[in-house]
Amino acid sequence: MKHSRLFAAGLVASLAMAGTASQAIADNDEITRGQLMAASCKACHNAAAAEKGVPDLSRVSAGVIQSQMRAFRDGEREATIMDRHAKGYTDEEIEAMSVYFARF
Amino acid sequence: MHNFTRRHFLKAFGITSAAALTGIGLTPHAAHSAGKAHVVVVGGGTGGATAARYLKQLSPSMAVTLIEPNATYVTCYGSNWVLGGFESIEAITHGYDNLRDRDGVDVIQDKVIGVDVDSRTVRLESGDSLQYDKLVMSPGIDFKYDEMPGIEESDAETIPHAWKAGSQTELLRAQLQAMPNGGVYVMVAPPNPYRCPPGPYERVSMVAYYLKTHKPRSKVIVLDPKEGFAKQGLFEEGWAEHYGDMIEWRGGANGGRVEEIDVSGKTAHADGGQERVRADVMNFVPAQRAGQIAHDAGLTNEQGWASVDQRTFKSVMDDNIYVIGDASVAGAMPKSGHAANNQGKIVAAAILRELSGQEPLDPSSASTCYGLITPDYGVSIAAVYKYQNGTQAAVEGSGGVSPLGQSSTFRRQEAEHTRAWYAGITQDIWG
Repeated sequence: MKHSRLFAAGLVASLAMAGTASQAIADNDEITRGQLMAASCKACHNAAAAEKGVPDLSRVSAGVIQSQMRAFRDGEREATIMDRHAKGYTDEEIEAMSVYFARF
Repeated sequence: MHNFTRRHFLKAFGITSAAALTGIGLTPHAAHSAGKAHVVVVGGGTGGATAARYLKQLSPSMAVTLIEPNATYVTCYGSNWVLGGFESIEAITHGYDNLRDRDGVDVIQDKVIGVDVDSRTVRLESGDSLQYDKLVMSPGIDFKYDEMPGIEESDAETIPHAWKAGSQTELLRAQLQAMPNGGVYVMVAPPNPYRCPPGPYERVSMVAYYLKTHKPRSKVIVLDPKEGFAKQGLFEEGWAEHYGDMIEWRGGANGGRVEEIDVSGKTAHADGGQERVRADVMNFVPAQRAGQIAHDAGLTNEQGWASVDQRTFKSVMDDNIYVIGDASVAGAMPKSGHAANNQGKIVAAAILRELSGQEPLDPSSASTCYGLITPDYGVSIAAVYKYQNGTQAAVEGSGGVSPLGQSSTFRRQEAEHTRAWYAGITQDIWG
């Protein structure tokens, strides 16, 4: 049966890695709160949405994301919706998320 | 990253078949703490497909299986635009090829019929069973037909709910197309809580758009047990501007509370028997609860929803099961597609961190709910959620509805953003 074989294979692999669990599970670095916040933004700010006029943030630098989020938050840039979103974040949170967009 | 394949391991230990393992006293618990865990995701809708994809993207070595009964998924969001007559059902239908081929998710078309939490096994309709280290359930909603006298689930063939998109959407669309000019469409709206709080009101907007265009003497009546609804001011402003008196909303205190539905007469009995509202097309959206499998697995509370630790979306009933999407109780996060998408990401991070022995994060996510009143007139509600004081709370001072009294340019922009939102989020989930 296909699935039980798959599971057994996973079991074998896991045994091989016993004792080094954390390295094995985290293929990349530890997932951070900033990364999770940026992942949330990505639902609207990806390549598909960009075809319909919403910026793809993977093409925007961390510095520009920080300055624009502050501008939306502080009422210095007009928006239909980003003003309402930007008010939900502190400076520290904006910085924490901003570095992840280029990695998407 | 380790590059230690199964074949190498078997060779190194002189084991020639996986079956041989079962004879050397290994328990599934060995896999639990180890790197290559197996996560099973139940349900390929917005929450489940997001969770499966993000688990695999964040941890490519993890084995992730997604179990979904259907070959494709039709989003409930966007289905009102099909009723409006300007979007196709194909455009809101999504497949699993990219999750399977590009992300490496093992997508199995089957239905979960049982969960054994002690052996950490899900049983499938095909007869197969699957063992998991962590189980993510995203079962969506089911209906409480027993709360409305006179109508039962099988009556959805004549009085559609169209609250799970697909053939039900097409049925309601066909009924609207067959309705005579001057006919009456009646929406019997659900009590809280239910999937997509502004959904019934976008629905009647889109039905009115279709009728105004094709059958302008028709009437739209909403019978609602509630005294108010999401984005009410915006909807009422848009209705007055575009549909005049075509749409009539009756709240619970004004005869909107339906007590019985006469299916053969397509008539709703409301207002303590005082009012009988006859429809040419009736759209009954029943009261709701978590999808059936969540109940079968013992994960639901007295109200019929799954309580979770809102930091991680781990079920309060079981340490290895997580529940996301409409089925879960998620504090201020609504039962919406965008919330389910966010919860898929939150649960992926939570599972990876737990399996890595790391402390859970205090997740924060952003959500936007757009709705159309005409194809060129959009409204929105936004929110930023943070886990604090044991709950998913909306951040004070952020979010809220788009302002009233805006120009047609503003509304057109919101309508354009509605379509961009759809393109973006569905790309994020299935694209």
